[in-house]
Amino acid sequence: MARPRSFDEAVVVDAAARCFTELGYAATSVDDLVSATGLHRGSLYGAFGSKRGLFLAALARHTAPAGERALDLLLVAALELAPHDEEVRAVVERSCAALGESAATSLGHRLLERAGVQSAAPPAPQPHPTPRRS
Amino acid sequence: MARIRVSDAHLEVRLTGLDALWALRRGLTVPLSAVRGATADPGAAAEPKGVRAPGLHLPGVAAVGTFHRGGDKTLYAVHSGRRTVVVQLDPGPETSGFARAVVEVADPRAAVDAVNRALARR
Repeated sequence: MARPRSFDEAVVVDAAARCFTELGYAATSVDDLVSATGLHRGSLYGAFGSKRGLFLAALARHTAPAGERALDLLLVAALELAPHDEEVRAVVERSCAALGESAATSLGHRLLERAGVQSAAPPAPQPHPTPRRS
Repeated sequence: MARIRVSDAHLEVRLTGLDALWALRRGLTVPLSAVRGATADPGAAAEPKGVRAPGLHLPGVAAVGTFHRGGDKTLYAVHSGRRTVVVQLDPGPETSGFARAVVEVADPRAAVDAVNRALARR
């Protein structure tokens, strides 16, 4: 029997998304999620079913991938879950479709930026370099 | 060590050895439709467990049996807790009132994947 929820789901999902993007999916323990969200373990399981359920909820809140958090979540989903989780793969596909042709570029740039790699220039649409004649 | 088996329509948590004796039950079989998800969660073994009925509880050593806490009925079968899996259920007649099972299995990652894959297919 589901009891009425006494927490703001958006706040909880955002706190979880922060954990997932900072630590990665596998490295985020339920202990991390419990302390980040301030919920009891039982409430967390009751509301989302599993760590995966909470991750899916976080992904669903960021289906239009704009902003760093959304891109980071998408990177984590693509790297850690999508290879063996069809449901997550479908969400990643949809998000990439929403990003359009520059999906790979945006994700790549965000990945390098996260890594602190200097060469990460803003993803400006680059014209094809014309072959130089010598 | 418990065993989690997933078939087309059911999920079975099977207690082994003395666990089944302490818990006074062989395990728990529920329809997949009553399963919400599975998580590898070693920390769950250290949570306050509530009142046992029936079961064995040696804090820090083992918790085996049926426990009641905060209106939730939980099936525990944990010893060291390192390989704990939490299976969240929709408590009702189909789950004998259990809201979740917190059990140790040999390969938590494989068990969690098997359950969640079955749920995604549903």
